[in-house]
Amino acid sequence: MRAYQDLREFLSVLETEQQLLHVTEQVNFEPDLAAAACALTKIGETVPAIQFNKIAGCTDAQVVMNVHGSWPNHALVLGMDKKAPLREQFFEFVRRFQRYPGELERVASAPWQEVVVQKDINLFELMPLFRLNRGDGGFYIDKACTIARDPDDWDNDDVENVGIYRLQVKGPNRLGIQTVPQHDIAIQLAHAERRGEDLPVAIAVGNEPIVTLMGATPLLYNQLEYKMAAAMQGKPYRVVKTAKGLDVPWGSEYVLEGRVLAGQREMEGPFGEFPGYYSGGHRYPVIEIDRLSHRKNPIFESVYVGRPWTELDFLQAMTTSAPVFVQLNKMFPEVVAVNALYTHGLVVIVSTKTRYGGFAKSVGMGVLTTPHGLGYAKFVIVVDADVDPFNLDQVMWAMSVRANPGGDVLILPNLAENLLDPAGQPNGMAHKMIIDATTPIAPDRRGDYGEVLDTPEQTEQWQQKLTTMIAELRK
Amino acid sequence: MTNPSVIICPRCRSNIASIRATSPISGVWTVFGCNTCFYTWRSTEPEENRDPEKYLQVFRLNPADLANLPIVPTIQAKR
Repeated sequence: MRAYQDLREFLSVLETEQQLLHVTEQVNFEPDLAAAACALTKIGETVPAIQFNKIAGCTDAQVVMNVHGSWPNHALVLGMDKKAPLREQFFEFVRRFQRYPGELERVASAPWQEVVVQKDINLFELMPLFRLNRGDGGFYIDKACTIARDPDDWDNDDVENVGIYRLQVKGPNRLGIQTVPQHDIAIQLAHAERRGEDLPVAIAVGNEPIVTLMGATPLLYNQLEYKMAAAMQGKPYRVVKTAKGLDVPWGSEYVLEGRVLAGQREMEGPFGEFPGYYSGGHRYPVIEIDRLSHRKNPIFESVYVGRPWTELDFLQAMTTSAPVFVQLNKMFPEVVAVNALYTHGLVVIVSTKTRYGGFAKSVGMGVLTTPHGLGYAKFVIVVDADVDPFNLDQVMWAMSVRANPGGDVLILPNLAENLLDPAGQPNGMAHKMIIDATTPIAPDRRGDYGEVLDTPEQTEQWQQKLTTMIAELRK
Repeated sequence: MTNPSVIICPRCRSNIASIRATSPISGVWTVFGCNTCFYTWRSTEPEENRDPEKYLQVFRLNPADLANLPIVPTIQAKR
């Protein structure tokens, strides 16, 4: 377990671990930055983060991308060995997740207060903004923590919210924000609008990597992301209050302070989104920025979003799988692990022990009743406890031999689904499917299952020995 | 004849776009923004993003349609 104080400390660890690539040649904002970040995720699952320091037309702009975009980087975020297998990262994430809440460490000042701009704010001049995908409506801040409090319960820290919402820079100090009704900030905005007030927000860009993961995690309304970040890093989370009373990470590179304007909605989008399709245009809320602060020589952080897999899929991997596991495990202690890695968990694979015939189908229905299930999970595959849900070879084997479409596929009509799922009919509704790929057990006597194969004696010892020999051979 | 001082939005073709920023190293790029549909582009982008004639049909917008886009989330009435 390790607590990084800021993005810079994490980048230096990535550098030491050979997980940070510096592009020293001159690049153009478009299309180079997005193209390079997109290309990285096509190269493989162990790629480094990428930092650009020489951007055409700029004197000192620094942009870093793909910070979370590989399993080694994800392991390092958690302070684990960079070779930690996926399954191990899942169990460690879940273990820490269940230690909620950690504590806040409040301090009076932060490095991001070094430079302050309060007059004539022009975000296009103050930040290295650029386009990601050709159909995007503009330049986005898409990996920032947006912080807000509930105007009806202002002093209650537990209902303060830290979330990653896409922000379109639409004017010199004007942003569009995507807040779908399921998001916590939509509740806070509704409370502000009923009072006829603007909603104060702070937007923190370029953070240590844990809080970014927490901002992407669907926590309960009364769970504070900073307290979860503290539990995840094993150390109180250090924050600084803005003049309005919003808590901001101590280590942020840029902090924008402003207001979501009550009663205003304005054209936003499209933006290339997590399902691998552009979102349409909507009239979304608007933020006016009143103040921008930043560290000296600030580093701008962005995430490339495209057709999966991209860095976004790493950001939404364990942060989606762990809450589903924790909630499901309360109902069914037999559940062993949950893989919700695919397209923000539109597909969920659950491995579970089964107590009697039909049990796995109930576990599948349990997934659909979790908060994630309500808005995302569309296909649920349930496998036995001897199948690693993170190993698709094993999952496909289980489906091949342990499922009979005649009795193992359930289709549940017209359930709630995420608005961004292009398959919805109408948008926001979809049928959902459970595939029971567990071995039938009594009183379910379908199939003709003999003895399942195991491995010859000493296979594990040979595996270790041969791995070493192969490494030697390739030296 | 085209007036060179008028900036046309490649996406919605309205002519009330303006300059948002110029490159810190002078003369390398200019960022433009549309004040109707809020499309933003840079002078050094691929043509399909900056030239109204080359802008991809599928992403074009008609300013008249903007008022009919869905409102999300619903605006709450003041109590």
